[in-house]
Amino acid sequence: MRIPGLTTLTLASGSLLERPFRTLLTMLGIIIGVAAVFAMLSIGEGSRQKILENIDSVEARTISIFPNWNNGRASARRAWRPFTEQDVLDIQAIPGGEAATGELSQEYSIVSETSDWRANVIGADPQYLAANDLQMQRGRPITQTEIERRETVAVIGTSVVRSLFRGQDPMGERIKIQNIPFEIIGIVDETEGTNWRGQDQNNFVLVPRPTGRARLFGDDRLVRNQVRSIRIVGATHEDRARFEREVDFIMRRSRGLTADEAPDFRIFNFSANRQAVAETQRTLSLLLATMGAVSLIVGGVGVMNIMLVSVTERTREIGLRMAIGARGSDILSQFLTEALLLSIISGLLGLGLGYAVSQVSLGTDEIEMVFSPNIAILSFGSALLVGVVFGFLPAQRASQLNPIEALRHE
Amino acid sequence: MSAPLIETQNLVKTYGRGSSVIKALDEVSLTIDRGEFVAVIGASGSGKSTLMNMLGGLDKPDGGDIAIAGQSLARMSKRALAYFRNETIGFVFQQFQLLPKKSALTNVRLPMQYRRPRLDEENERARQSLERVGLGDRIHHKPTQLSGGQQQRVAIARALVGEPDLLLADEPTGALDSKTSTNVMELLVELNRQGITIVLITHDKEVADYANRVIKMRDGKIVEDVRQGVLA
Ligand SMILES: Nc1ncnc2c1ncn2[C@@H]1O[C@H](COP(=O)(O)OP(=O)(O)O)[C@@H](O)[C@H]1O
Ligand SMILES: [Mg+2]
Repeated sequence: MRIPGLTTLTLASGSLLERPFRTLLTMLGIIIGVAAVFAMLSIGEGSRQKILENIDSVEARTISIFPNWNNGRASARRAWRPFTEQDVLDIQAIPGGEAATGELSQEYSIVSETSDWRANVIGADPQYLAANDLQMQRGRPITQTEIERRETVAVIGTSVVRSLFRGQDPMGERIKIQNIPFEIIGIVDETEGTNWRGQDQNNFVLVPRPTGRARLFGDDRLVRNQVRSIRIVGATHEDRARFEREVDFIMRRSRGLTADEAPDFRIFNFSANRQAVAETQRTLSLLLATMGAVSLIVGGVGVMNIMLVSVTERTREIGLRMAIGARGSDILSQFLTEALLLSIISGLLGLGLGYAVSQVSLGTDEIEMVFSPNIAILSFGSALLVGVVFGFLPAQRASQLNPIEALRHE
Repeated sequence: MSAPLIETQNLVKTYGRGSSVIKALDEVSLTIDRGEFVAVIGASGSGKSTLMNMLGGLDKPDGGDIAIAGQSLARMSKRALAYFRNETIGFVFQQFQLLPKKSALTNVRLPMQYRRPRLDEENERARQSLERVGLGDRIHHKPTQLSGGQQQRVAIARALVGEPDLLLADEPTGALDSKTSTNVMELLVELNRQGITIVLITHDKEVADYANRVIKMRDGKIVEDVRQGVLA
């Protein structure tokens, strides 16, 4: 059996393998180009999917409110003003809200019978877990009664469990914060990954906020009924604008600002956050696209160069082949196949490289990469295109040689 | 009587233009029958190679006509000429023109790659062709592992593998010493005895003596055409 085109293919691979090092050097540009295109498309797809997938998540329905210096206007310079417990209650009352909580926290050394560990101590309220999309793993959450009575109870994250208790059961045990003993009443389920600052999201101790305020955070410049930030869940995609208006209204009223004054607080939502991430990813994609395009062109020029060299080196071979019956089209397809083979191998190596690099260095939370057959085909196709486009000129030049002159070539 | 294998009429080929025009072929009319062994001799620049390129369909005349095995070449397309060369002509060159990194067998197989439709048993044909030139035991050798004479034999085997009507050899002994030249010429004589028509180009009178007809060229013209008895 004779497979059509097999001879041409054998011919091409043979001549490439005769000079493996040169072949590899030539392929480098395409390899890098394909890898970059692959990474770019994967990142693009990743960010698209992440936005789609999270559109209904708790994160997507969350609005965060932070105090702010008064937009830096010198004339209206005011001190940084935190929020109050009353603000939290007012925000909790927004219709359609699912949960809202204030946050007040400080890092402390947590001491158990056997060891100690630094963790974020957070003053929580009953809605804290829901507003942060957290679930209990064991035990129970802090109750309203415990908050009102300022009890010294604690609910801890899994990192604290691991670091302080090392396989022992922490339930009912005591830990000391600033020398004050707290009883562990529950453990919060593990959250994946790190937060936006790259901190461990499971390294915390929840205590009743009034307890924290009275016994721990007292030396903090925050007075009595204040909180640092407020979170509210419930702002669905359709309802977000209304939520933000309500939040704005409540905060202005609380802080004595008129509607046209610059606010001394900021409202963050998921989409703003996502927009920032998407912006980062767009920049990265653009960078990769540029790099990919440049590499592919450089690679293409490399292919063209090596093919021209090859044609020159093999002028007599071309003359001979023509003398013994090769048509122009035979020579054309021989060299085009060679260029294509070069780009096929480069394309495959490029996909491998792109995948490897994405696994090693880009697998962070910020940069989501999604691989799909289409992306692989598209980036591989870019290599083929380069091969054909840049391989055509040398191949055509070869096919148009005059056999008599070619045979005389030295 | 059967038609001659080669028939040319007033073949003209010129190079250059204006005052510096060179008539490489000047009204060459020539007939060669099947089975002949013809040597074309003449000084360098007399037009021998140009004639061979015409006969082999590598080049087209500027005037006149040329027919090989009943096919008129002057008006053939490039594509048809390629096919003609593949099927009808076997070329032997002064510089052997072997692919240096390929085995003798691969080199000999080369012309069959361009045959349409493809022949069966390509490897077997190539092997037999090598045996025919006495290199049956060297089929896997690369050109660099062979002597000059052996390389020219591989080239002859390559010319024969497609069973051409005409073997065209341009200075086939030009790159060989006299002893290997004799070997190669004896091989050509033997092949001619087996019925292959050969047109050989040389500037060497001794080489020409192996042929049974000697055509002498000067300034693109045939100036002598002598049939001679085969040497003992
Ligand atoms: N491609 C060419 N361009 C210009 N002149 C050529 C070319 N080929 C051959 N000639 C000229 O044609 C004449 C015949 O050349 P050629 O057939 O090669 O002679 P020979 O083979 O007998 O030495 C010479 O004068 C040569 O210079
Ligand atoms: Mg010559």
